[in-house]
Amino acid sequence: MTSTTVEAVRLTKHYDGRSAVEDVSVSASQGEIVGLLGPNGAGKTTTIRLLTTVLQPTSGEFSIAGYPATSSTEIRRCVGVLPESSGYPAHQTGAEYLRFYARLYGVSRSQARSLSAELLTAVGLEDRGESRISTYSRGMRQRLGIARAMINDPVVVFLDEPTLGLDPAGQAQVLDLIRSIAKARDATVVLSTHLLPEVEEVCSKVVILHHGRVLVSGSVGEVIKTALIEQSAQLRVPLDLIERARNVLAGFPGLTINQTAEQPEVLILAVDRPGTDSTHREVMNEVLAAVTAAGIPVLRFELEAARLSDAFLKMTNRGVT
Amino acid sequence: MTLQVAPPAVGTVRDVRAGAQGQSRLLVVAEQECRDLWTSGRGLILLFLFSVLLSGVTYLTSTNQALNFLEQRESVNLVLQFAVAVGVLATLVVSADGISGERERGTLETLLVTPVPRRSIIGGKLIAALSLWFATFLVSIPYVWVLARGVGILGRALALGFCVGTLVAIGLGSIGLLISAACNSNKTSIAASIFLLLILFAPTQLPSGLPQGWFFEVLLRANPVASGLAYISSILVEGHDWTQDLALLITPLLTAIIAGGALILAGPRLVRLTRGVNAG
Repeated sequence: MTSTTVEAVRLTKHYDGRSAVEDVSVSASQGEIVGLLGPNGAGKTTTIRLLTTVLQPTSGEFSIAGYPATSSTEIRRCVGVLPESSGYPAHQTGAEYLRFYARLYGVSRSQARSLSAELLTAVGLEDRGESRISTYSRGMRQRLGIARAMINDPVVVFLDEPTLGLDPAGQAQVLDLIRSIAKARDATVVLSTHLLPEVEEVCSKVVILHHGRVLVSGSVGEVIKTALIEQSAQLRVPLDLIERARNVLAGFPGLTINQTAEQPEVLILAVDRPGTDSTHREVMNEVLAAVTAAGIPVLRFELEAARLSDAFLKMTNRGVT
Repeated sequence: MTLQVAPPAVGTVRDVRAGAQGQSRLLVVAEQECRDLWTSGRGLILLFLFSVLLSGVTYLTSTNQALNFLEQRESVNLVLQFAVAVGVLATLVVSADGISGERERGTLETLLVTPVPRRSIIGGKLIAALSLWFATFLVSIPYVWVLARGVGILGRALALGFCVGTLVAIGLGSIGLLISAACNSNKTSIAASIFLLLILFAPTQLPSGLPQGWFFEVLLRANPVASGLAYISSILVEGHDWTQDLALLITPLLTAIIAGGALILAGPRLVRLTRGVNAG
């Protein structure tokens, strides 16, 4: 049975009268990967700092692994954190670094040695454990940071921009790690990132923040639905029949028809009205049926699924206006 | 390459979550801070510079002594005072980097999200800074030994230097950490600390021939460095008894108690991500 590991209710943080986070409510369960999204300055890092007790909220309540916000030591004992732009002591080796953090959690010297070796292997740094951190690439440092965040076998892992500045291969490695943390250790992962396609791929839940407020939260599908993202399609017909096709489709409610100068034989169709995915698909089926019934040969018909990035852009732009 | 995090081994990490106790986090932090100070080369560079300066001062002092410009007791006193003052300066510089430096390097947040009490973090940093004072004192022992041969004050000089220096180093090390906690920039913190030490050190360097009225006396007694050095001087040069000028140690003692106490009491509020942010 999965249990709720992160529960925040109306969390608010003000700095000198300026609001950084306002009424943020978030919840997450064991084994879940929650994507915390938002433009720069949306309040993602502040939210993570509040939930990890680095900052104290101005108002609101939260609990981590059942511990209330007032039990900061207990919360710190059961969370793992990779802060944004985390620094590393360049003169230490990766193994020394992990051993030190293990000992901060009360692990004996010998246990810290085996634990650091185990985690270095887990993040693919077993061959570089005795090298100085100054010789590590950015991707290696991020993986070392994730290993450090796992040192106490946390119930909840907070990763603030773990893929920032990494090449695609490095990003893929970090995302692999995140998946396996949630799966093998049954930990909740709260992931703050700008990589929307990856969030779509790994996150079971998404929270979009803007100007310190939660705009929307839920599964990726729910977020897209809430954003009422248009389901679009491309219809290619012979150029001499394009006007006839336009006339046939002109009567469809909620259907927008566009054309580009580059591809005059292609109609770009968009459905912009409330409804489920299946409603949108039905409309497109009717469109296709109407065109073929009118005797217009269909050269190409492509449905384009709505993406989280579209929802993100639409919602954050709406938030701005 | 696909990376996989295995489930935790039973009996190792699970104990961590339960908060296995029995080891002092203060000592763990202190050990790491000392290792950082000495293996990063910072401590060794400061110690090397200290040794070079002390060699120069000792050479000049012994030359003056050979030319009968200085008595042997005076030359021991001069070198010991220099060792204490510069050793304390090094301690202050290291402690001034303690919190603001970690902020700048981005390593403080990872420390703050561990269950280590803030007081242990700050205490560990103070111990590491004091390790530099102890190292400078060890380096100065042979110099004092060379100068003090034959007058029977070696033991007294070393004991005095160690006690007074440690007292002043605790006080100024604590002040350095307080300044560091109050500054967001490491440069500001170190500059403010050095400026403070110069203010404290300058009165001790006034030529003894100058008229020294009640104002100088107040300045001397209110200054932990100057009054500590004056106590050393009163015993080594003037031959006073240990207890005769104990009042001179009131300021160094009060500085150590007040600054150290402030550090312990306000530690949880001081060790935070940025200055002025209400951290937990």
